[in-house]
Amino acid sequence: MSETRQQIALVDVNCFYASAERVFDPSLEGKPLVVLSNNDGCAVTRSPEAKALGISTGEPWFKIAPRAKEWGLVARSSNYELYGDISARVMELLGRYSAWLEVYSIDEAFLGIKGSPDQVVGLGRTIKAAVQRNVGVPVCVGIAATKTLAKLANRWAKNNPALGGVCAWESMDPESRELLMARLPVSEVWGVAGRLEKRLNAIGICSILELSRADPVMVRDRFSVVLMRTVLELRGTPCLPLEEERVGWDQLIFSRSFSTPLTSVPEFRQVLSVYAQQASARLARHHLQAKVLTAFAGTSHYNPKDKSFPSACVPLPMPTSDPVLLTRAAHALLPAIQDGVKYARAGIMVTDLRPSRNQQPLEPFTNPHEERGIGPLVEQISRKYGRGTIGLGFAGLRSGLDWSMKRGMRSPRYTTHWDELPVVRAN
Amino acid sequence: MGVIIGPRVIEAGLSLRLVLISPVAVAAGFPSPAQDYFDGRIDLNEHLIKDITSTYIVRVSGDSMEQAGISDGDELIVNRALEPRDGSVVVAVLDGELTVKRLKITAAGVVLQAANPLYPNISIPALADLTIWGVATRCLHHV
Repeated sequence: MSETRQQIALVDVNCFYASAERVFDPSLEGKPLVVLSNNDGCAVTRSPEAKALGISTGEPWFKIAPRAKEWGLVARSSNYELYGDISARVMELLGRYSAWLEVYSIDEAFLGIKGSPDQVVGLGRTIKAAVQRNVGVPVCVGIAATKTLAKLANRWAKNNPALGGVCAWESMDPESRELLMARLPVSEVWGVAGRLEKRLNAIGICSILELSRADPVMVRDRFSVVLMRTVLELRGTPCLPLEEERVGWDQLIFSRSFSTPLTSVPEFRQVLSVYAQQASARLARHHLQAKVLTAFAGTSHYNPKDKSFPSACVPLPMPTSDPVLLTRAAHALLPAIQDGVKYARAGIMVTDLRPSRNQQPLEPFTNPHEERGIGPLVEQISRKYGRGTIGLGFAGLRSGLDWSMKRGMRSPRYTTHWDELPVVRAN
Repeated sequence: MGVIIGPRVIEAGLSLRLVLISPVAVAAGFPSPAQDYFDGRIDLNEHLIKDITSTYIVRVSGDSMEQAGISDGDELIVNRALEPRDGSVVVAVLDGELTVKRLKITAAGVVLQAANPLYPNISIPALADLTIWGVATRCLHHV
């Protein structure tokens, strides 16, 4: 029954942030456009026109800005409200095409589909057209027997205009597939980059084809089980199942760079408190608890003198999503903060996540704050009256959150704020 | 930087929870005769938004659609998934801007009509030359 066996489609939005900006501002169509990271630091998304100008991912805005005018380059600050909504629409729509949907990131999802090579290509085209029509953003679809190959097919769909944005691995002839894999460096494989690439190159594995032909047992012994799975996946043996629901989220990270550097412990106490409470709210929403909290800070990479990258890792007394405990843990970073040093960013990360307990623990292990439901109460109030109306202790609302993000070139939050709706002309 | 939630507020939070729970948990009075009939308030989303993936809300600027009942400052509910037909009020892309007009499809070609004699119609050779952004399904007119 090879005709109808399980296939995996990877659907992802082309230049997601830039495409989302263009939905409501058609004048951006065909123009070079970059979307900047938090705090307008660097270009995180580039439209094809911006790529053609030679702007690379992660290029700092201050380096591009002087030539923007001459290039006709448009820059936008990250508009997370908009991107979040567009993403939710895309995912909702994708869910109508398959009962197996794994939302992999804000702009990509794996779908389990079945059918002959022609049928799956047809479905890919249907999906592509539906997302374009309904939501307004362009997607590419890669279809293959395994996730790793679906990623590869998707990449090929993106780079080969003749395919019209949809590539089914199986419907390519074997020679073209080999040629493609021989031409692509091993770093183009999902999950292979950096150090791993160097180590592979050192033993003569440079192309994807060479990796796919490597002995899986050797790969497992010299590298890892993970990389062995990659080899098998490249050969068409599925090793990474679709995860319909990702219970095992590994970690949540809250990290931002600041509009003006932070230099004092009291400022850090405030920032860390706010992050800890955001982490608490997010954990609670997903019914998760964390076992470990790491807080960190860092100076700017563009400021080579005065380097400081302190961090503190705190095992929590019990798995928790309680804001009081998380805030207290985040403050473990404070002694490591050097007064007067200009810190450009800070963040916290919660790891070793697990589902919230359903049953109450024995009394000595209960957490008085959790019992009183402070986390849910704060969340409830914030939802009703807006973020920033209430915070615990050092989240210090009175002095104002003056370190918060700079988003000077942000487009309106078209779909989430009533007073920022897109305007249609009737004149 | 002060403590925003002190212990007293936490106690208030606790009692608030009790207040919320008690009407359900304690059956101390005559049960409401209406309780079996209540299955949710009217939800405008349900009635006005047929497909949440393709529906956007936009705001009108200008009075060129006045006689179609669409005034300056009104909100339009626009569904991108609908097929534009002759007579549809559409949001079209004109010169890189979103513009609301009535679509007339005739043997001679396509016309974007204003609904106000003060504004000219715009002729388009064929429907294929036109980017229709979406089809307006409702106008939220401010009265």
